[in-house]
Amino acid sequence: MKTEISFQLNGEEVTVMAEAHYRLIDLLRGPLGLTGTKEGCGEGECGACTVIVNGRAVNSCLYPALEIEGKSVTTIEGLLGPRNRPSILQQGFIDHGAIQCGFCTPGMIMSAKALLDSNPEPSEEEIREALLGNLCRCTGYVQIVEAVKKAANELKRMS
Amino acid sequence: MIRFKYHKPRSLDEACKLKEKLPDARFIAGGTDLMVNIRKGELRPPALVSLRSIPGLCKIEIDEVTSIGALSTISDLIQNQMLPDKFPVLVQAAKRLGSVQIRNVATIGGNLCNSSPCADMALPLLVLEAKVKLQADHQSRVIPLSEFFVGPGKTRLAANEIMTEIILESPQKKTKTIFLKKGRVKMDLAIASVSVLLEMDGKKCRKVRIAAGSVGPVPMRLYKVEAMLEGATLSKELLDEAQKLAAESVNPITDVRASEEYRRQIIGVFVKRGIEKILGRNEP
Amino acid sequence: MKNFRYIGKEAPRPDSADKAAGKAHYIHDLQRPGMLYGKIKFSEHPHARIKHIDTSKAERLAGVRAVITANNTPEIRFGFLRDNLALKKDKVRQYRDEIAAVAAIDPDIAEEAIDLIEVEYEPLPGLFSPEEAMKKGAPLIHDTDVQGRPRTDNLLSLQFHHESGNLGDGKRASEYLIEREYSTPLVQQSCLGTAGCIAEFDMNNNLTIWAKTQIPFLAQRDFNRALSDMGLQGKNSRVIVPTLGGGFGSGLDTHAYEYIAILLAFQTGRPVKIVYNREEEFAYLSPRQSTQSRIAQGCDRNGKLTFREVEVLQDNGAYTSWGATYPSVMMLPATSLYRVSNIYFNARLVYTNNTYCQAMRGYGNPELNWALESNMDELAEEAGIDPFEFRMINCNEPGETTPMGLKVSTCGLKECLESVAQKLDWKKKHKKSNLRGVGMASLIHVGGGGRIYRSDASGLILKLDDFGNVYAYHGGVEMGQGLHSVLTLAIAEALGVRPENVFINPTDTGTCPWDIGTHASRGAFMACNTAILAANKLRDKIFELAEEVFPKEVEKNLKKFREKNPGYNPPEFDFKKEAKSDCFELQDGFIFIKKGPREAWLRLELARLLRAVHFRNQGQMLTAEVFYDPPNVLPDFEKGFGNISATYAYGTQGAEVEVDVETGEIRILHLVAAHDVGKVLNPLALKGQIYGALAQGVGYALYEELQSQQGKIMNPNFRDYKIPTALDMDFPIDLEFIETDDSFGPFGAKGVAEPGLVPTAPAIANAIFDAVGVRIRDLPITPQKVLVALNKLKQSQETPRRKRVNKGT
Repeated sequence: MKTEISFQLNGEEVTVMAEAHYRLIDLLRGPLGLTGTKEGCGEGECGACTVIVNGRAVNSCLYPALEIEGKSVTTIEGLLGPRNRPSILQQGFIDHGAIQCGFCTPGMIMSAKALLDSNPEPSEEEIREALLGNLCRCTGYVQIVEAVKKAANELKRMS
Repeated sequence: MIRFKYHKPRSLDEACKLKEKLPDARFIAGGTDLMVNIRKGELRPPALVSLRSIPGLCKIEIDEVTSIGALSTISDLIQNQMLPDKFPVLVQAAKRLGSVQIRNVATIGGNLCNSSPCADMALPLLVLEAKVKLQADHQSRVIPLSEFFVGPGKTRLAANEIMTEIILESPQKKTKTIFLKKGRVKMDLAIASVSVLLEMDGKKCRKVRIAAGSVGPVPMRLYKVEAMLEGATLSKELLDEAQKLAAESVNPITDVRASEEYRRQIIGVFVKRGIEKILGRNEP
Repeated sequence: MKNFRYIGKEAPRPDSADKAAGKAHYIHDLQRPGMLYGKIKFSEHPHARIKHIDTSKAERLAGVRAVITANNTPEIRFGFLRDNLALKKDKVRQYRDEIAAVAAIDPDIAEEAIDLIEVEYEPLPGLFSPEEAMKKGAPLIHDTDVQGRPRTDNLLSLQFHHESGNLGDGKRASEYLIEREYSTPLVQQSCLGTAGCIAEFDMNNNLTIWAKTQIPFLAQRDFNRALSDMGLQGKNSRVIVPTLGGGFGSGLDTHAYEYIAILLAFQTGRPVKIVYNREEEFAYLSPRQSTQSRIAQGCDRNGKLTFREVEVLQDNGAYTSWGATYPSVMMLPATSLYRVSNIYFNARLVYTNNTYCQAMRGYGNPELNWALESNMDELAEEAGIDPFEFRMINCNEPGETTPMGLKVSTCGLKECLESVAQKLDWKKKHKKSNLRGVGMASLIHVGGGGRIYRSDASGLILKLDDFGNVYAYHGGVEMGQGLHSVLTLAIAEALGVRPENVFINPTDTGTCPWDIGTHASRGAFMACNTAILAANKLRDKIFELAEEVFPKEVEKNLKKFREKNPGYNPPEFDFKKEAKSDCFELQDGFIFIKKGPREAWLRLELARLLRAVHFRNQGQMLTAEVFYDPPNVLPDFEKGFGNISATYAYGTQGAEVEVDVETGEIRILHLVAAHDVGKVLNPLALKGQIYGALAQGVGYALYEELQSQQGKIMNPNFRDYKIPTALDMDFPIDLEFIETDDSFGPFGAKGVAEPGLVPTAPAIANAIFDAVGVRIRDLPITPQKVLVALNKLKQSQETPRRKRVNKGT
């Protein structure tokens, strides 16, 4: 049996039918067609599925779909600026070599965004702490941490 | 693949009634463990009864007596204005639980009700001698946390009972606490963990509470070690004894995460180290 | 070294913006109209006869479109020795054996259907270690070989052997000798994007398969053979490679799940997708092989190596993949890392009922390097020589031909060693007993392709359009490592266009020229060499055409320029006379005359030339194709001789660690990685490669082990299979790139993809020994093992016995 649920997705109201056993990631990648959110493990260990719900980073693979009713969700697709322009954070990842296979990237960027939204000037340790739940097998994290640092500086300069 | 129904009661009352009607259903709070267990097929509940829409379960009230709503997320504890000052050890443990994403969803009550031997929040709460409030059908009872755990995944909760609050008395001003955890990498379930609460009276130990995780069927207090130390002068020799006793008094298993012997060793070291750190003694 | 316009400069990857936006499409994201979802039923026993399979309940489930077993499908054999079957018929030999599969309209139904399949087994005794499997009278895992001849034991017939010099002489010449045993565990590639494919047939019964593979063309060969087995003789398969969420060797074989998807797609007439979830990836995909090695080495009183004896025992698991040829790479360090004569190398592979294994980054090298470089330190300790000095004494040199016949064109090993010693502050920090220690280890690896097949070639087609854009069709696979990044830069550099005008097409056997596969750190080496060759061809054509077009168009330019600048006096230069094919230069998409003045009008946009030659009678469009087979030879692996690669990559890594003697915990304080890369192609990408490899090296050293109990994987998830997190990699890392400008390398570059993780583990182990005096010889170095060793050391309290070699015995 499906239930109708409504929530805010990347700034827009959406209504979608969900089965009770669906997880948020099933909604996003399925009926909503947002495949930027990746499923890397399905048990909250790798963070590839990270999205922001009501301002906090969560694993969408552990989030019961029916709990999303009335909430506000931001996915990687929601970060893109007008005219197809990457956000400053995304640009930081591009410019500093923080991306290899890219499978962890959307989740990594969402974790970093949640961090910078609440802590615009994080220390390196705070960045690493915020990315603890995002596994990357390609990069060794060095350039990811650099990218977040540089993006934080850039955001500060712009504000 | 497990299909289940999902209920979102809006009151405790409704939740308890639902659970009575659906005895095989499971309550779900943050779901960070439950969703995994269901996915792996380890649990096959026909329905989940969510506690997330019940108002008032995630209040944190800090006063002479502190009440933490069981549905408070781990991040709620970390981000609370007063909790870090009042109960630093709670926040210390909270920061070692899972990842940011997990902490943003996992609840303190869920961490306890899972009754996992490695529950990070259980240890500081045990040494703080927390009590938990359990409620069903307008009836509630308060029991010490130390009596709450029965076995892995088993607690004193009745089938329709819900943990609503964690209750903490204010500690003495001179009380100091610590939480130590050993994982394989930085994000891990504890393969051994220790929390210590210590009140000194000059060189003598006036009060000590020690809890250990991942070394028995449930998070446990190390009463024998506490008895050995309380009232005594905490000499290096005594702490060495305490280390030995701690290692002997736990009952760990060998699994994919660590061996029994290693867990024993770590518990001993952590008990000694925890106390030394609180006392500001140099690490070896 | 030459000055380059794009090569050697930091450049973001061309695919990174899409990846950052969530717009890259991995196999998980791909859909085909009418697509079904496949799921596999795996064995519940490590070794058993299949008595009966009951699929009736699954067949009756609504939404199920096909249920297949070996009983209702043609037999498909596959694998390096063709000892594996897509669906198992009579017997299972490992927990992960594929018994049945379903296709259903959604993944949930497919999973439910799998649970409804009932299998009756007759368990057989299992063999879970090479030792057990080699015992006389041990049950046979395969009763017959692929030709149907009866087998008498569980040893594989593959031979990997090398002997050179005289071992006895070497031993007699040894003042010091060390013999030790080492082991390495099963390790999972842990790609963040799990394995999967979509198989689809057209009405001519030709197959298209979107596959997570590193070997599209070998896969095509394998799949065509499978089509033939299915009664579709002469039919073709087209392999398309989507964006890959990592590879690390996991795509160097074709897998049962791919053949199952093909069978399901044929059976249903609809596209079928199979994607592994994380647990399946861990438990049912092949990991890195586990090994045991015995190493004996000796040196004279001056520290010169006198001999080396290496024996390797490899647990093959139940079936054979390309990974069984790890020893072909192990031979390199065994014979050629440091200068040593008098060598014995032998590797044996044994069938067991454990999970069968496959390639992973380094391909045998990390396994043997672990043993060899640990042993080097043990020998140095025995001889009382500083391990850094010891390595310098025996250091390889450019120009040498090693006992395996490797022709060392360039070699930066000495510089790498010195760089690591300097960065680690070796002299000050080594042998200080303060619970902190430093250690180092070096490596040799193929750096110019690696011939393990009849062809080691790679092709490239370049196609120009009317706008000056270059389209590249290349058979190598971008799996995250940055192949398309360097290929873009190489084409831009070699041809003379801007990188943004270079477009790399998806790897597709239907459009791209053949390539052996993306392995052996050969991707950039091969792709960039083909780029240079193809660019030269294309440029020759352009310049030939420019002889005619350039004067005409430049004349027009000049006219316009004069109209705009009335008083303009052009410099004295007869561009008509000078417009000869060998006088042109192409840079950033403009054709110049090399020695001509750099006037704004005196150049021709490539796009204009292309349009001019296209839109005229008997017009033409330009393409170039090349097929490059590097100057290396297929070694005789039974004799262990042959120059397998055109050039060799060297490197040294160093670690500083601190050991907590009460908990056994190892804290890395500092890592240094110095690599002879020939030439840095894109520093941003190269750093990423090495940083990432170091994290895998750290994982291999300290955390990672796929635990197998009676053949069953006990930790098939990231909860219990731990790879380093951002907080575990929070120490400073120094990278040093030694540029030796190799003459075979494109722009001087060597392959670098694998070396970064090869010596990390022994460097760390050597540092641990320096810190606390314990030597761990089996990976991973867990705190638990360190504590046990520390306790043993404490108990013995006696200095290790010296084993002197009696001269003349």
